[in-house]
This record gives sequence, structure tokens and C-alpha cells, in this order.
Amino acid sequence: MRQEFNGHGASRGSALGRARVRLPHVLEVVEEHIPARAVETEVARLHAAIATVRSEMFALRERLHGALAHEVGEFLDLHSLLLDDPELLQGLDELIRTGRYSADYALRLQRDRIASVFQTMDDAYFRSRVDDIDQVIGRVHAALHRHDAGMPGVAGEILVTDNVAPAEIAQLQAQGVMAIVTTTGSVLSHSAILARSLHLPLVVGTPQAMQKINDGDVLAVDGASGRVILEPDAADLRAHRARVRELARERKQLHRLRREPTRTLDGVDVKLYANAESREDVAEAHALGSAGVGLYRTEFLFLQRNELPDEEEQFRVYRDVVLGMTGRTVTIRTLDLGADKADRTGLALRDEPNPALGLRGVRLSLARDGLLDAQLRALVRASGYGPVRILLPMVSTREEVRSVRATLKHVTAELRAQGHEIAENVPLGAMIEVPAAAIALPAFIGSVDFLSIGTNDLVQYLLAADRNNEALTSLYTPLHPAVIRLIRDVIRQGQKRGKPVAVCGEIAGDPHFAPMLLALGLTEFSLHPATLLEVRRTIRHCDHARLQANAAALLRARDRKGIETWIAENAPSVG
Amino acid sequence: MIEHELTVSNRLGLHARATAKLVQTLSAYRSSATLTAKGREVNAKSIMGVMLLAAGKGTQVRLRVEGEDEDRAAEAVISLFERRFDEDS
Repeated sequence: MRQEFNGHGASRGSALGRARVRLPHVLEVVEEHIPARAVETEVARLHAAIATVRSEMFALRERLHGALAHEVGEFLDLHSLLLDDPELLQGLDELIRTGRYSADYALRLQRDRIASVFQTMDDAYFRSRVDDIDQVIGRVHAALHRHDAGMPGVAGEILVTDNVAPAEIAQLQAQGVMAIVTTTGSVLSHSAILARSLHLPLVVGTPQAMQKINDGDVLAVDGASGRVILEPDAADLRAHRARVRELARERKQLHRLRREPTRTLDGVDVKLYANAESREDVAEAHALGSAGVGLYRTEFLFLQRNELPDEEEQFRVYRDVVLGMTGRTVTIRTLDLGADKADRTGLALRDEPNPALGLRGVRLSLARDGLLDAQLRALVRASGYGPVRILLPMVSTREEVRSVRATLKHVTAELRAQGHEIAENVPLGAMIEVPAAAIALPAFIGSVDFLSIGTNDLVQYLLAADRNNEALTSLYTPLHPAVIRLIRDVIRQGQKRGKPVAVCGEIAGDPHFAPMLLALGLTEFSLHPATLLEVRRTIRHCDHARLQANAAALLRARDRKGIETWIAENAPSVG
Repeated sequence: MIEHELTVSNRLGLHARATAKLVQTLSAYRSSATLTAKGREVNAKSIMGVMLLAAGKGTQVRLRVEGEDEDRAAEAVISLFERRFDEDS
């Protein structure tokens, strides 16, 4: 019988498919033996699953910032350590090798073995650590089955679950999940943001869904309105088909924009750079016709490992990015690590009381011997293969820029003397994310070649509002007169001194904000490839001169509502 | 080989967070390390092993470190215990 549930639309898109109801994970495994010749394959299968979980936890950790990172991060740290635990791993390998158990059953045995010891403990705290072990082993067990061809696939299905973790989203999509419906969750959660950037339809907050929907039921999901229909009728199917046609038409039009210039109606050219951190991002950035890479994050090279990457390893990675962009500019950011990101190299301080205000970004690079030298050498060497720019995160003083500049000069001379083929001049730029740097910009703009405004952190520092604090969601917004003014000032300073200014925070990737940024004088955006074409489409419908003329009204807006009204009034009709 | 008697003196004992710190500290060194308490010896580089000691406040543990950098490794662990795992501030 037809039933309708109304949740919150967290990510647009329509899907029609059979429901896959996911109940909380339980480890139920029967005793299973394997033949002697399969032992090593089984050990390898287990280790591959562990590696998958490790990278999932890494990905999750990467997406956490600020206070959330502090809380969740502690558990993730513990879980990462458990995952790498020599006792746990040796025990598992032994069970497979000598007991000839399947990896699944070895996990089960090992779990029970550990649990039995923990459960005999007097201390309730220690007894409850079994939960952590269960979680880690549960994750590995789930990973063991994710790649099995024999597993009842989720392709073409709609996942109905209590909640979905950010780390799972990309994987679920890769497996072919068409949409996700959750009983809890919020439109502003990290999972929702991620689903939007991946164009995976997501409806959150449908408490009745888990009780009323059964595995295999047909569902029609509309991620825009948040409506989920169980056993849709003829009219529902018609409406669904219409929505799908509309979306397909939109996608097709967008796709055509890959080869089109990012030019306003009145002929102003805008540069859309891509934010990237993987080979896939770089390839996509190239295919979409981006102006280059505006922000290449280098943190992944340093995280999740025991030793720092040496110059050679870094060089190869940077060189490949440069080669991948075939002559378009690649802006690489030096290490932006802080205490809120897990690293096992001992580089960043652990447990700083306030990681957002701690030893991070360029501060860390300058504080650790040899770190900056090796990275700069690798970057300058990569400049022999195509245009490279170096971007410094968390700059707050002129001295920091000058200090890096001196090192850059030194390593450049050294590399030349060693006979390396390198660019004449590698531009050095600063991220503007610390309010002090934005306000005191005239004092050090002479020392940099370009600027990139990191609005995510700038907003957080300027408004003293943690972006992950759920209680502050209405306060944490770029739509504050102070933010607007500061962005405008930085862009103006840059124009006056002939230094290019880009915005690389999340607002650059949201088409809604494009007219506002154009009005503030911005002509360089750096954004994730996922929304690049949408932003290009919006810009192509903007009248630059008219937006400039309306900028005064934007700067007069006295509050968020006033800015939102301006955005609504100046939104181009995109059809 | 270095041996050293230590007392768990932080409020919560060798619980998950303190254990994680201990394991992370030791992971920077090549030496092998064990902790012995209540008649049981465990690998001090294993979070599971150390947690299984269930060493609450006041427990006496014997640290044993062996390897090329044993001096520095032992020193780091002793200092961590002395600082009560930095948690009582």
C-alpha cells in the first residue's frame, strides 16, 4: 500500500529503486575452514580489508575539523591504534595460518578471545572497552565483504538506515547505491555536505522509515523535497519520470559547458581553479576545463605513516600533478597540519588545548627542522615540468612570509647549483584565513606574489564560531557584514598592487554565492571539481557590470537577512 | 636492556587514552618494550596488551625496554608516567 514519508531533503536528485534496509552491524559468523593452499590468499584478503578500514578512518578523520575532531578524533585514534595492534594482527594471522580458519571466523575468534578477558575485569571502564574492539572488528568484517562479488549487491538500491557516516558516503555511491534515506541526521551534517558534493540523493530525518520499509520494497525518493514514497502509484511514477528527465536535461546542458569559457554576459573572464588532493581530482579538473589547480593539499602525504615523506617522494607526487595539468598553473599548498589531524610522525603536537589556534600550517613548517626545506625543494624541482605556485597556509605575520621567502631563495640557488632544471621564478602566495593577515595586508602584500582567501577558517576565526559546533550553525556563516567587508578589502588590496586574489573556501564552490563574490570584485575561484560546471553556468548568466553597481547595496546590508535578500535579488535566472 | 619500576599514578589508570599515549610514544622507537603487572607481561607497544593489564591507579608496573634506542625510549615512558599522562591538569 502506498505510503508517504516526509523527511528533509539534504541532497538533490531523484531515485526509484528497491529498498535495502541496513540494521546495525552484528558479527554473526559460522565456523569455516580453508584449504592449506588458500591460507596466504586469505591472510592477504584480511590485510586488504584492514587497509581499507584504515583508509576509511583516515578519510573520516580528514573531514573533521575543530571541536568535532577533538571528540571524535580521540576515538578514531584509539581505533586506528587497535587496527594496527601487533597482538591483534599476529593473533589473526596465526588463526588463519595454523588454524586454517577463514578470515571471518578468525575475526570472530579473536574478538571473543579478547572480549572474554576484558569481560572478567573488575573495572567497568575496562569492561566497556569491548565496545571499541567490536567496532573495529566490525568495520574490518564489513570491509571483507565489500569487495565480494557474491555479496548481494546494493547497486540500484536505496539504502534505508539509521544514520550514515561521512566516510561511507563515497563508498556507498561507488557500490551503486542510488539514494540514501536516514531516520536521523541533519541537512547541515558532514554527511549531507558530502552527499551534495557527490550528487548522491539524500533524505534525512524520516523516523518512521526503518519500521515501515522492508528489504525489497519499492521506493521513490526525491532528495530535493525530502519526500520518500513507499509503493509509489502511477501518478508518483509519472512525477518521478518528469523529475528524472528534468535532471538529465540539466546535466546534459552542464556537460556542454566543459569546453565553454567562464565568461559573464558582459564579457568579463573569470578563472575557475580546482581544489584537488588526488590523482582523480586532477584528472577531473583537467577534463572540466579548469584554469588550473588553485589548491593542491599536501597533507595526505604526511598522514597515516610513521616516517616523513622525503624530498624525492614529494617531488614525484608534485611533478605528476604538474604534468597532469599540461601547462596550466598548479598551486600547491605547503603542509597544513595541526593537532586536530592524526599523524604518527610526531610532527604535530598532540592534544593542544585549542588546535584551531595552535601550532599549525606555516607555523608548524617553520618550527620543525628540515620540514620546510624538503617540501620547498620538492616543489621547486616540480616547477621544471610546468607552472607551479607555492601557497602558505595560516599566515599571520610578515615575518613568516619573509622567512619562507628566504628559505625558498636559498633552496632555489642550491638546486640551480646542483644542475636541476627549474623555473625562473616560483610565485609564493599566502592564504588569507587569519583575520590579522587580512587586516594587516598592506604591511606584507609586497612580500607575496598572490593571495588565496580561505573562507572556511576566516569565517571561523573572524566570528569566533566553530564551524562544527551544532549549536552555532546559524552563527557560523560567511553571510556576515564583517566577512563580506573583509573579503572585499582583500580583493581591493590585491587589485591595487596587481596581485591575483582567489577564494578557495566552500563558498567559492556554491553557485548561490557566485554573484555575491563577483560583486565583491572576485575573478578567481578555487573550488572542488564536483560543482565547477554549476558555478560556471551561474557566472555565464551574470552581468558583471550590474553586480558591481549593486555592490554598494551588498556592503550596506546590516545582517544575514539583508545579505540573503541581496543574493536573492541578484540571482541570475539560470535556465 | 633497561628495567624500571613505575607506579600508575594518574587518576584513571592505564585506560584507553593513557594507553594510546603510551603506545604512540613507544611507536617512535625501535626498541621492544614490555610491561609486567599482576604477574602478567604484555607488549607495551600493543594497545590491546596494555589495556588487558587493566592497571588502575596505584598499580606497580615493571617496564622493560630492549634495543638500540632503549635509553631514550625508557626515558620517554618514564617521563610520561611522571607527567601522569598529561591528563591531571
